[in-house]
Amino acid sequence: MVGDFAVGKTSLTQKFVNNVFSDKYLTTVGVKIDTADVSDTKLVVWDVAGRDALSPINAAYLAGAAGIVLVGDGTRPETIKSFAEIWQTVSGKLGDVPVVVALNKRDVDGWEVTDDLLQTSIQSSWAVFETSAKDGSNVPELFAALVDRINC
Amino acid sequence: MPQSLPDNINQTLMQRLNPAYLRLDATMKVTQTSSNLSEYGFADITEGVDATEHIDFLVGVDPAQALSLPVVASPNGHPVCIELLPEQGDLNVIIADAREQFDLQQKLQQKANENQLLLEKQRTLLGELHAAKAELARRNTELEEASRLQSSFLSGVSHEFRTPLTSILGHNDLLRKSLAAETRPKSDKKQIYTDAVRRASQHLLSLVENLLDHGKLDAGEITINPRPVQLSTLQNDLEMLLRPLADAKQIDLLMQRQYPVDESVYIDESRVRQCLINLAGNAIKFTDKGSVTISMAHKDDELQLRILDTGIGIKKEDLAKIRQPFWQVADTGKAGTGLGLSITERIIELMGGEMTIQSEYGRGTEVSFSLNAPATDASINLDQAREAAFKDQVSILLTEDDLDIAQLVVILLEEANAKVTHVENGELALQALQRDSFDLVLMDLNMPIMGGYETIRRMRDDGNHTPVVIMTASALEADMHKAQALGCDGYLLKPVEVADIVAIADQIIVPLE
Ligand SMILES: Nc1nc2c(ncn2[C@@H]2O[C@H](COP(=O)(O)OP(=O)(O)OP(=O)(O)O)[C@@H](O)[C@H]2O)c(=O)[nH]1
Ligand SMILES: [Mg+2]
Repeated sequence: MVGDFAVGKTSLTQKFVNNVFSDKYLTTVGVKIDTADVSDTKLVVWDVAGRDALSPINAAYLAGAAGIVLVGDGTRPETIKSFAEIWQTVSGKLGDVPVVVALNKRDVDGWEVTDDLLQTSIQSSWAVFETSAKDGSNVPELFAALVDRINC
Repeated sequence: MPQSLPDNINQTLMQRLNPAYLRLDATMKVTQTSSNLSEYGFADITEGVDATEHIDFLVGVDPAQALSLPVVASPNGHPVCIELLPEQGDLNVIIADAREQFDLQQKLQQKANENQLLLEKQRTLLGELHAAKAELARRNTELEEASRLQSSFLSGVSHEFRTPLTSILGHNDLLRKSLAAETRPKSDKKQIYTDAVRRASQHLLSLVENLLDHGKLDAGEITINPRPVQLSTLQNDLEMLLRPLADAKQIDLLMQRQYPVDESVYIDESRVRQCLINLAGNAIKFTDKGSVTISMAHKDDELQLRILDTGIGIKKEDLAKIRQPFWQVADTGKAGTGLGLSITERIIELMGGEMTIQSEYGRGTEVSFSLNAPATDASINLDQAREAAFKDQVSILLTEDDLDIAQLVVILLEEANAKVTHVENGELALQALQRDSFDLVLMDLNMPIMGGYETIRRMRDDGNHTPVVIMTASALEADMHKAQALGCDGYLLKPVEVADIVAIADQIIVPLE
């Protein structure tokens, strides 16, 4: 799980793994590891601390990843513009891994995802989901799509 | 440094970090463990097991690569620091306590990220604020434009309404005059019919004027222009105007005068007259028996005006409402725009006065206001000014495109001892002015081919200084300033009365002797 800080990486993971959601923001330090079973596949989810103004993503946490969930906040366009820079770090470490994109917080007012933004920030090979960790919409689909891409 | 020190440090750090250790072979099988591994939640790891089945962070890692993971949290157990160190085909895994580092970084990062979120939020809100401000500014301009359009619409409407009304009133007057000159059988009702036409037209005219004033008050276009006025003349005029209304309802109209007979004061006569007509008109309208009293008193430069009636009165709960525009007593069945009182009050305020209403339901109403009205000793004689005919014959050039109006004015002026030449536009007026000389030019403003202002400008450019009096239905004060700037000598609002023309001409035309 990679993306800018506070986009909902932890929330998506927790919704998926434990079916819980909290409105309170508790930032992730380093990495938090969780597991979930998707059909026959055991998914080990590395919920990596978000990128912020001071610290880039620590590529060490990406080691050995079979796939990437790139998370952006649909109400904060800057977090989607960040995909380019984050992808540099990711692909530098892992090459061309499978990617699914979560445009998160779909339930919130003030959705600011424009066609222009998508065009410039998202690669055609990525699968894009508009998700809400709060109401759970598209969360299982997001992870299922990643597993599919990893397995084939 | 003595050897004992590094040993000491080493021991302290080892104690604090409490590192656990395990060694894996190339297939990730456990070959060696330290005894404190269970303190990190890995109790069931024994030699020979596949480490990836028990330790999540080892899933997918390359045993040949060194890796340093500063802070790793898992659902069971506290945050740890992990070092993977390959050695001769094996992998050393070192796990150490990272709670201190975790807590410290957690606090810092939490604060920094929350601050950043606040900043972003602030930026968005500021953006929204700017957008809202811009929207507000845009709406303001729109509103200003709308109110400008409204006032120009009103002035247009006034023009459209006044012109035909002038024609109706004027021609009706001609009809009444010729009827009066005829001898007719007693049963003939023509006189009654023409009187009815006159009343209705005048009513219509006053409604149009009320609407106009309402718009002009909103646009701040009404200005107060005090001039010397003889009080007795003002009150006599009012009496003449209102007497027929009171007579028609068989109520008494009483005049109280508390000022010297020849007292003249500075007030805006037409506005004071308008207020008094409105208030007294209302009083008569709502009084079915008894009397209406108009009282005027002048003392210490203050003019006190009072209209008293014995009419139906106003209920307490209605007293506040009657001052609002367009409000009317629901059950009286009296006609009107409902604008009269609100306009009157606003005009009184513009003149520096305050209207007070006292009323007792079923007994009557008293409306009063006082105005600052300095006495003047200018010996003006308004009776003379309002004479209906010229003493000496004058020659007048009438420039007016509305043929009905022109015909009317020509007849009335000729009756008043004037010789009138009529032309239909400014161009023809300029030609006429080159041919003949006139004592006075009466000029309409809106005309085809060449309008009034343009004509006056050309006249003055040609060195022609014949006095010009503008006649127009456009009541916007802006016209007045423009006219003065162009050197006009007077300004008459349609419907124009001959007495007004005579009065203004008497002031302007310089006798030739
Ligand atoms: N309404 C709404 N809020 C969400 C959603 N996802 C996350 N949030 C809220 O957004 C904030 C940040 O969520 P996290 O899941 O902690 O974000 P993160 O990407 O893990 O942040 P870091 O760990 O700091 O990188 C929290 O207050 C969440 O409750 C969502 O889909 N809808
Ligand atoms: Mg997180």
